[in-house]
Amino acid sequence: MANQIDGLKDALVGLDMYKVLDKVKAGLDAGVAPMDMVKDLQAGMVEIGDRFARGEYFLSELIMSGEIMKKAMALLEPKLAGVDQEYKGNIVIGTVQGDIHDLGKNIVAMLLKGAGYNVIDLGVDVPAEKFIDAVKENQAPLLAMSVLLTGCQDPMRDIIKAVRDAGLDVKVLIGGNYVDEKVKEYCGADYFGTTADDGVKVAKQVFGA
Amino acid sequence: MSDKKILYQERLNRFITAMDVGKPDRVPIRLTLSEFLAKYAGYTLQEIYYQMDKNIECSNKFIQDFDVDTVPGPPSLWMGGIHDATGAKYLKFAGRELEKDKQFQFLESDYMKAEDYDDFIANPTKWILTTLLPRIHTEFKDPYRAHLSLIKGAAGMVMNQGMLAEAGKRWAEEYGIFPPFSGMSKAPFDTLGDVLRGLHGIMMDMHLCPDKLLAALDVLVDHNIYYGMATAAGDTTLPLFMPLHRGSYPFLNPEQWDKFYWPTLKKVIEGLWKHGKRTLFYAEGDWTPYLEKIAELPDKSIVFHVDMTDMKKAKEILGGRFCLSGNVPNTLLTYGTPEEVSDYCKKLIDEVACDGGFIMDAGGVVQWDAKVENVRAMIETTLEYGVY
Repeated sequence: MANQIDGLKDALVGLDMYKVLDKVKAGLDAGVAPMDMVKDLQAGMVEIGDRFARGEYFLSELIMSGEIMKKAMALLEPKLAGVDQEYKGNIVIGTVQGDIHDLGKNIVAMLLKGAGYNVIDLGVDVPAEKFIDAVKENQAPLLAMSVLLTGCQDPMRDIIKAVRDAGLDVKVLIGGNYVDEKVKEYCGADYFGTTADDGVKVAKQVFGA
Repeated sequence: MSDKKILYQERLNRFITAMDVGKPDRVPIRLTLSEFLAKYAGYTLQEIYYQMDKNIECSNKFIQDFDVDTVPGPPSLWMGGIHDATGAKYLKFAGRELEKDKQFQFLESDYMKAEDYDDFIANPTKWILTTLLPRIHTEFKDPYRAHLSLIKGAAGMVMNQGMLAEAGKRWAEEYGIFPPFSGMSKAPFDTLGDVLRGLHGIMMDMHLCPDKLLAALDVLVDHNIYYGMATAAGDTTLPLFMPLHRGSYPFLNPEQWDKFYWPTLKKVIEGLWKHGKRTLFYAEGDWTPYLEKIAELPDKSIVFHVDMTDMKKAKEILGGRFCLSGNVPNTLLTYGTPEEVSDYCKKLIDEVACDGGFIMDAGGVVQWDAKVENVRAMIETTLEYGVY
């Protein structure tokens, strides 16, 4: 049965959209467990993230693979109902209040999902209460916040303060093009990231996996 | 000649000498300040997006208080009213969708679909008018409102341009100061990737319909040269502003950059240069891997602006043939101290500006969050320490 999806991972890594979708459809027709296909695709995403980290892949490949993944998951998700997925842990992610940029956040979320984490994506323009509620509800050990413009960094500081004041035991990762050590200190975050694979690196540290 | 006219000429010569890779009397200062100016002048962002006299007043206030070579701003590129008149779906403004002190936002999407390529390539202007505009403006639901909205929008645009032209005259006459650029244009890849197809769309196109994408990029070359010259009203003294986006590292892989980004951008810059028009290559983000390619451009045809590009390499590869500008980090202007800013500027003056061909500026457009004392430190350091 596995024959149907042989090469699924490689097709994704090779960014061959039609091949990926054909294989997923063929797999479903042949009764391959959808979860097995998801695992293959996740392995592909991990490989793509590694290639990015090695400088072999660029954002264009990450975005293209994300689009392929989205289309493949649209076929698979209806069949996944009732199947328990195993995750390495819960991560809450979102773009902070006042900012609507989501390119970086989406790529980081995609790579984290690919690496086997349960990512709770709150979208853009997310206020403090929403972050806090999501961290509480999911008992998430890691909160990731994205921001592009320096002018939108103040809300990040306020949100982190609110998270700390709420007494939540959560590590905070901030990310964005104009984020650096100085911004991390200013906002009181635990980690900062500027490039796509930094999120996975930090998650590995936080979850030890 | 009046004192102000002499001052104007001195400043302009300083700027032009640096752009020609020469050594003026001191390092010129060009500050690309946007919403920062509103805060400095005491206006809300809502006021500067919607009241063009207040928008211009922000620059007046700044140049009264600081000795800079060119006019920074005015802070708002936009006139909110024009976009309200047409019901633009792609912009959000303070005081309308946003709180009164929130920076405007552009909602990126694939407003042009992959299916639109053929019509776009056949006649881009016609396609924009008949297909794109109705798609992205709420007022285009019926022809009656569409016509009215275009008349209102165009009238607003003309009024705003007239006010800016008046202000420019006043800045020259009363303060002896000139604008840092005239006209604007874009890389064809950014015209498509920023506004029309959006980032996701254009990234997919490189894989799924590369030939159509290439044909569309070609169509845009002449258009973007013309647009640059038209918006500059033919001026060739000042450089053209060209904000560059999707070509920064690491958006595209090197083959994609060579195939899709660079050839048409190069043609636009060379085409402008044939008209005597220099381009301010406003390289947002990091362009270090592409410096060798950029060095293929004709000498002096660009001012290469450094945001996060490796300044040392930029100097090594482009220095002597092209003027360099920028590189004072925006995070430093926001979170740093005046001493740190001053030290950074001195380092730039010592290591980059030493042989001439350098203009002091921040890495990116300076936003709402920069500290006034840090902007002051940047200016004062350049005035004192930047004398050749």
